[in-house]
Order: sequence, then structure tokens, then C-alpha cells
Amino acid sequence: MSSMSPKIAELIDALPVESQETAEPGAALQDLLRQLSHRRVPVGRLNRLWVLGTLQAKVAAAYLAWWLRSGYASADKRQRTLNETHLKAALKLLGGMTYLRGAIMKLGQIIATHPDVAPQQFADVLGRLHFEAPPMHFSLLREFVRSELGADPEDVFDGFETKAFAAASLGQVHRALLKGTDQRVAIKIQYPNIGRTIRDDFRNMMAFLTPMRLSGDWDNIKAQFEDIRHKLDLETDYEQEAENLRFARAAFSKDEGILVPRVFPEVSTKRVLTMEYVGGLHLDKFLATDPPQELRNQFGHKISVAVVRLCDAKNFVYADVQPGNFLFMPDGRLGFIDFGCCHYESDEDTAFKREMERRYLGSSEADRSPEALREPIARGSDLTAKQAADDERMKLIVQFSDWAWEPILHEGPFDFGDLDYFRRGAAMYGEALRRRYTRSRPSNTWLIKCIFGLRAMLARLEARVDFGAIFRAETTVP
Amino acid sequence: MRVTAEKKRETRRRIVKCARKLFSDNGFEQTTTRDIAGAAGIAAGTMFNYFPTKEALAMTIVDEALDEAGTEFEGRLRGDETLDEALFAHVAVGLRHLAPHRNYVGEVLETALSPFAKEAVCEQAQQLRVSHLETVGELIASHGLPTTQAPSAMTMHLYWTLYLGVLSFWAADESPNREDTLVVLDQSMRLFVGSLSSESKNEREVIDVVDVTQNR
Repeated sequence: MSSMSPKIAELIDALPVESQETAEPGAALQDLLRQLSHRRVPVGRLNRLWVLGTLQAKVAAAYLAWWLRSGYASADKRQRTLNETHLKAALKLLGGMTYLRGAIMKLGQIIATHPDVAPQQFADVLGRLHFEAPPMHFSLLREFVRSELGADPEDVFDGFETKAFAAASLGQVHRALLKGTDQRVAIKIQYPNIGRTIRDDFRNMMAFLTPMRLSGDWDNIKAQFEDIRHKLDLETDYEQEAENLRFARAAFSKDEGILVPRVFPEVSTKRVLTMEYVGGLHLDKFLATDPPQELRNQFGHKISVAVVRLCDAKNFVYADVQPGNFLFMPDGRLGFIDFGCCHYESDEDTAFKREMERRYLGSSEADRSPEALREPIARGSDLTAKQAADDERMKLIVQFSDWAWEPILHEGPFDFGDLDYFRRGAAMYGEALRRRYTRSRPSNTWLIKCIFGLRAMLARLEARVDFGAIFRAETTVP
Repeated sequence: MRVTAEKKRETRRRIVKCARKLFSDNGFEQTTTRDIAGAAGIAAGTMFNYFPTKEALAMTIVDEALDEAGTEFEGRLRGDETLDEALFAHVAVGLRHLAPHRNYVGEVLETALSPFAKEAVCEQAQQLRVSHLETVGELIASHGLPTTQAPSAMTMHLYWTLYLGVLSFWAADESPNREDTLVVLDQSMRLFVGSLSSESKNEREVIDVVDVTQNR
């Protein structure tokens, strides 16, 4: 314990100064954003380590303070304190992410998409990040594009719009026409230095995870983080994303109404990606039109087909299911964009997935009993013999697996708008995290992101979807 | 024999061309004025009629590159840039034109433009500094900052120091396509514009005090 004490003392020392008055959350956010408006991406690992260190320490310390205080606080007060702590932590985290961009921001988006996994206050604040990354001005962009494509953007394209029409966490997107044609394109341009930023962030994060090495699962946790780092690294490689787009585009026929944009490789590089422009509304704006239930269901169906087809039939896990990556097109088609965060399954991953499908979809009730599921799930989660023998642990994991399969086994349309379903899964997932049941195969990290992301999207859409029918149509298991 | 003006211009052009190649091949320090004179086919003493020092010769090359950059910069201005963007573009275009000389220009700039130098190393260096800061002053004026007078000497010194910092970072930048320089330049120009805003704010506060006093 003595080796832990200084770290706790450091955290307490790093506590944010408590304000005596209760500030309005909106005012606090505005104040923070004002402070951050002139900050830029810092260059160099030492500088970034300092920033992340301060940030992480503050977040950790805020939670620690809550944990210490909650022991003697009344229930109501405890809830109030928890809310305050979450908001403060969210603000600090948002501040860091706006400043650091890269991996931290990407992780923030993941948290924001899963409203009940993260505390509500986190989601409210982090949800703003989808389209609010600070932009590069055109002169910076022009120099960067010039070094990538060999000429200024206004010479490479016709009608290049100097103002970005969308911001991405790793770059920003501009509209133009392909030179000498009527083809509208969206050009995603990466922030200079972002690739190395991500690598630095992860080196820093690993440094902050040092205390977790005390855990017996350290190697497994490290492998999962290493996998995430690798994927985020791939996300900065737009040539890889172009390959993912081509792969996904080929998975859908024209009459299915799912449009994955075409890539134009002659004007794309590792850091500039030129795609067919897809026009439409993002989820929030679509919902603001108060769409009828029928239309919600149709789009819910398309989103489900898109994700399930790739995951189940093509063994390609689309791990970034979030509102920023889908467009509700006026003609009823679904635009499916941004293929940075994807995972091609290994043969071993696919074999595990197929085994679970056979058990859940097969005719034998016995095959999907909790007892029968224990062994394959323990194997699929890469558990040690001791962990696999832990009844509490196995019960929770099997329950979570059952939860994930619930909409598939449901007869007829499943009502994703029933938030009780989503909350049950989120509670189980949260419980697993609290108990530190973090050991898993790296590929499961992506699959869980995909499962939660898809269910969160459908929940926000309040769609009723015959998920089982879609799944049975897509699976290769008889 | 009288040397015509045309002949002089031709000799000067030849010297600059040979110097550019020798600096590029061998570096600034390793190249002597004798080497340059030899390559240009003139006596070493004759060269000093054209360029009094090696630094003056090197700065002429830099000056020519930045002249071309200035023309490109003016042609590229859209008119809707913010001040930090305009300042960024001004420097970025210059760096691009200096890029062919990057392997030796750092040594030249370190000697000729050092902020520690009490006097200009050569006339060309002084001209470059004056001309660059004039452009910066014009950009500030054209963006209508709420100042009642030109930016202070200290503010311009801050700019010059930031500019030299960017130049030195760029000269040693090994990132792909020198992308780190773009980030450092962007941060530097934002920092500078931020300092102008606070200077304006201070000035406004003084004016407010004056107004209050006069209204009494």
C-alpha cells in the first residue's frame, strides 16, 4: 500500500479548486470553451504529456473526491455530488479533448454515443464534439494539401469551398467538384501531425495506466489497448480507409438504398481522402423533422442491414456506429460514411462468432442454456481457468451475451425505442467494468463497440426493426 | 576596358547562380568566396565588387526567393482572411520558396538575422527585416485592429522573434512534408495576434480612463 500512497496524494493535490457557488452547467461549459478557443494542437511529446497529465489527474481526482465523500453523504446529497463530479470531469475531459484532439477526442466520441454507459452529463457535453472540432483555416489547409497532392486545392479541384462543411475528429471535410466534371466530392483532409499525436497520446495513456500493472490482467488489458492504438493508427491512414470504403461499398446493391461513397484514388493520399459527396441530414436534424414511425423504422432497418451485413456476412466489424457516420437522404436512402474505425476479423474471431450463432440460433434449447454457454464464452473472452470458474463473473458475462442476442431472438419487430432494454445492457456493462471484468479478446472490444453503437443509434431513432429476420438473412449459419 | 552595365548584370547573375549551387552541394560554411569566384570564372577580388561578404551573397539568394514569394502571396490573398491566417500565409509561402535552399539556409539565417546581433550583418539582411516587418504592419493595419497607433516596437520584436523561431524550427524539421512547421507557424501567428488583442485591450482601458477624466 505504501507505494500507492504518493499517487493518491498526488491526485488529491491535483483536485480542481472547488467553487462555493453552484455555477450553471451551461455557463461553466461556455467559460471553458472560451478559455480553449485559442489553444492549438501542441507539438512534441513532452508538452502533450504535461497537458494529459494535468487533465487525467484532475479527472481521476474528481472521481476520487466523490468516492471519498460519498461514504458519508446522504442519498440525495450523494446523487447531487455525483452529478457535480460528472459534470466537472466531463468539462475537464472535453477541454483536454478539444486541445489534444487525436485519440482522446475519438474516445470521447465513443463515450458520447453510449449515453447510459457514460453518465448522462458526460454524454450531454461530449455529444457536442461530433461536429465541433475547431477548423483549420484555409491557408494552413492549402499548404497541407499542396504537400500531399502536389498542387493547391483550387487547382486540383473545381469550385473548392474554402470553408469546411463538416469537421471530423481527425480532420475536416470540404466540398468541391472533380476537375472538369460535374461529380460532387467531399474531401476529407487530416490535421497536420495528427498521426503522431495519436501515437504520443497512447504512449502517454499507457504511462498513466502503470498502476494497473498490479492487476493480474495487465497483459490482457495492455493487449486490448495495443489493439485500440493500432486501430486508431489505421484511422489516420486514409489509404486504409479508402480500402475499407471500397470493401463496404461492394457489399450493397443499388436497390438496397444503402450508399457507401465511392473513392477517387487519383486525388487521394494517406492523409487526403476524396469521396463522392453524399447529401442528407444527420440524426439530430432528421429527428427534428419529427419523422413518422414508418420512416424511422425504414431507416432503422437500413442501418441494421448495413451493420449486420458487414459484421456477419463479411466478417468486417464496423466499430464506429455513431450519428456522425450516417446520413438520412431525402430520397429515403441511407448514406453510410466514414470507414476509419473498422476491424477485419481473424479466422479465430469468425470461428468464435459462428459458434455463438450456432448455439443461439440452433434448435436446441440446451445449447443456449447458461451452463452450455459458459465454456465457449470463457474461451472467447480469453479467460484464465480461475476466472472461468468464477460463477459471479460468468453469470454476468453470459447475461450480457443474452442481452446482445435478445433483439435477434425476438419474434417480429423489436422496439429499440424502449429504453429499458438499452439501460439493462448498459447496467451490465457498467457492472462488469466496476468489477474489473476487463479481460477479453481484443476483437471483442470492437464487437462490443459495434453492438452498443448500433443499439444506441436505433434507440435514439426509436425504431422498430425485425432484427431477427435481418440477422437470419445475413448469417451464413444454416 | 569599360565594363558595360549589361556585362555587370550578367556577371552578378553568374555569381549568384554558382553560389546557389555550391551552397546547396557543400553547405554555407564549407563554401568559400574563392570557390564561388572560381566557379563563376572571375578573380576572387573581383567578386567583392559585387558582394562585400559571403553573407551578403547568401542573403541576396534568400531575398530573391522571398521576392517571388511576396508576389505569389499578394496574388493569392482572397480578402476574407483573418489576421492570423494572412500572417500564416505570408510566412508559409516564403518558406515554400526557400525550400530549395533549406539544406544551407538555416546557417545563413542564423548568422544574418540573429535577434542578438546589435547591427545588421549585411545590408541585404537589414532590408529583408524591414521589408518583412513592413508587410506585417500593413497586414495588421488592413485588418483594422482597434489600435490608435501602429503596434509597439516591442510587439514587432515579439513578431520577429516568433518568425525567427519558426524559421529555425523549419530548417531542422524532419517531420513528413515538414508538417510540424505548419502547426508551429499556426500556433505562433495565433499567439502573436493574441498579443495584439491584449495590447489593444490595454490601450482601450487607458482611453476609457481618459474619457472618464475628461467627462468630469
